[in-house]
Amino acid sequence: MTEQHNFSEVPGDAPEAIMKTGRSFSIIWVVPLVAVIIGSWLIYKTLSEKGPEITIVFETADGLEANKTKIKYKDVEVGLVSSISLNEDLSNVVVKAELVKGFETYLNEKTRFWVVRPRISAGEISGLGTLVAGAYIAVDPSREGNSIFSFKGMEKPPAITGDIVGSRFLLYADKLGSLDIGAPIYYRQLRVGEVEDYSLDEDGKGLTINIFIHTPYDKFIFNTTKFWNASGIDFSVDANGLKVNTESIVTVLLGGIAFDTPINFGSTQPAKAGDQFQLYNSYQETLTKKYRIKGLWLVRFNGSIRGLSYGSPVEFRGIQIGQVLDIDLKIDPNNLDFRIPVLIEIEPERIFKAENIFDAADKRKEFMASLVKKGLRAQLKSGNMLTGQLVVDLDFHPDAPPQEIVWSDPYSELPAIQTSMEEIFKTISNSLKKIDKLPLVEIGNDVRAAVKNLNQILIQVQSTMESINSEITPQTVATMEQATKTLAEIEKVINNDSPLNQEARNTMDELSNAARSIRVLVDYLERNPDSLIYGKGKDQ
Amino acid sequence: MNKDFLTAAKSSLLSCSSCHLVTRKPQISEKSLIYCPRCGERLYGRKPNSLSRTWALVIAAIVFYIPANVLPIMTVTSMGTVESDTIISGVIYFIETGMWPIALVIFIASIFVPVLKLAIIIFLLLSVQIKSKWRPKDRTRLYRMIEAIGRWSMVDIFVVTLMVALVKLGSLADIEAAPGAVHFAAVVVITVFAAISFDPRLIWDGME
Repeated sequence: MTEQHNFSEVPGDAPEAIMKTGRSFSIIWVVPLVAVIIGSWLIYKTLSEKGPEITIVFETADGLEANKTKIKYKDVEVGLVSSISLNEDLSNVVVKAELVKGFETYLNEKTRFWVVRPRISAGEISGLGTLVAGAYIAVDPSREGNSIFSFKGMEKPPAITGDIVGSRFLLYADKLGSLDIGAPIYYRQLRVGEVEDYSLDEDGKGLTINIFIHTPYDKFIFNTTKFWNASGIDFSVDANGLKVNTESIVTVLLGGIAFDTPINFGSTQPAKAGDQFQLYNSYQETLTKKYRIKGLWLVRFNGSIRGLSYGSPVEFRGIQIGQVLDIDLKIDPNNLDFRIPVLIEIEPERIFKAENIFDAADKRKEFMASLVKKGLRAQLKSGNMLTGQLVVDLDFHPDAPPQEIVWSDPYSELPAIQTSMEEIFKTISNSLKKIDKLPLVEIGNDVRAAVKNLNQILIQVQSTMESINSEITPQTVATMEQATKTLAEIEKVINNDSPLNQEARNTMDELSNAARSIRVLVDYLERNPDSLIYGKGKDQ
Repeated sequence: MNKDFLTAAKSSLLSCSSCHLVTRKPQISEKSLIYCPRCGERLYGRKPNSLSRTWALVIAAIVFYIPANVLPIMTVTSMGTVESDTIISGVIYFIETGMWPIALVIFIASIFVPVLKLAIIIFLLLSVQIKSKWRPKDRTRLYRMIEAIGRWSMVDIFVVTLMVALVKLGSLADIEAAPGAVHFAAVVVITVFAAISFDPRLIWDGME
């Protein structure tokens, strides 16, 4: 401690330090400056890269996880699920997701989201990659429509996404058959499209099926193209044997549609996207014409309509233009007049083909009214003489008393003329009356007398025959026996060893000897003609 | 405290930090710099600008500490699943899976220690600036402590570095360092420098 108090001596020994002037600003402040710059840059980057936040409602969150499930387009990550929650009534799952910046331009009413999971269907197996990596949400972006940020997720992947080029068409069908979303569409057994969607019409009377045909095959769709349901297997048996028709094994399992453009009277023009077609149940059905527009009319008949039934044809000059839909019986209580209203269906397209002039119901009504003015009337006519079936015939009867269409709801009434059938009946009853007047009893008596005479004649004929039997037959038998004997004699005479034969052979021998002598003589004479004069010389 | 203690500053002496030569402090303006006559090392009675330097580094560390915790430090790709973890989410993950010891180690090394260090340095800086006379011995002890434990915060960075190097199994499993790691390393390094730039003698200057 004493040394501590003697410190005054120490400074004297210590050398003096050197001095230099230096800066007053400490460079160390650069460090926090850099930190602040980096920090603010990070903040700016995070904020500027923040993309749109969207809400998607799914039925189930199967396979989805917050902060893990990605949103992908063409397998490129475009977003991340940030939270998954249930909605208020627990019916759906609300998925919130953040998308990359710039994607908001593709978020519109038509943008679709669906969860990609492994799927195995009759048509294909898809999403196998998600078995390992987990499900993800796929997006089909769209630029059309209003911009929205809340979506309803699809439970099934769409058959057609926005990046596939092609045309959409509508098909009308009575029933769906075995078609489903994604069912293939074939053209000459080549897969060219898919069923995209289907919905029941609002009136419940049919279905509208949305189909998608890929480019370049959509150019094979014309306004006259016929679509038919190619589902399943089509068996037919005819003179050539059993025929099995099917488009492909996929259509057997999954259903499908085929189309073709037949050659006919109609003008063939390329169809525009969105055009509407009829879907036939089979290829056979496409061969018969089918019409979409149907006019329903009421026709009242007074007389009997025996022979008219549901489905009976409605004809115009022998060409079917519709059919009978319903038949009723009504009585007017005031005058006890029975009337039979018949509901018929007329398909105007059969007459107007593909012309669209009469698409509007009002125009069709106007047209019908003008036809009635010209004398168009409905009439029952016999369709088949043998079965007595009737048809409703529409034709012009200019002489008929003027009548108009009775407009009412739901069905308007076409004027009918009754005469034709009644006339037929009248004629028939007249004929019956005439038949009645015939002297049938006398004729009957005469016939009976004639028959009696005939009977007697027949008895005589019979006795004649009997006498022939008893008298002529024995003689004939004797004659035959005699003839047999004679023939036996003859046979004996001409037998080989019979004397006659012997004689004949000898004679023939003689004759041949004589012939030889003559030949020798002729020979000799040829050589010695003078021997005729001089006689036979002696060995010349 | 005994005010009769002899200190170098009181007797206008300087000790070279390099060759330990004791020199006299020349009588000049504060702005001049002085050097050791023997080895040429710069001489100073107290670490120059100790307070402002330490403040600067502390502020930088605090700024970096935010992205270090917000950004993921590691990205694990395993069987096609990509997972990014921040320090906190890693700790929570280990707690949830029941691995308390590991969670504790990570928590102490990566969250507790850096925060503690920054807090202690700030406390020391403030106490020096208001010339507090409160328990200088304990404060010196605190300083020694932060100097000692500072480097252990790097454990996290070492773990990430090792994992990135070891786990390279292609699409099966892959680990990559994420930007948070860089910021976290910056925090650790800067706090170490901050601790060094703080002159503990300033604690005792307040006593005189």
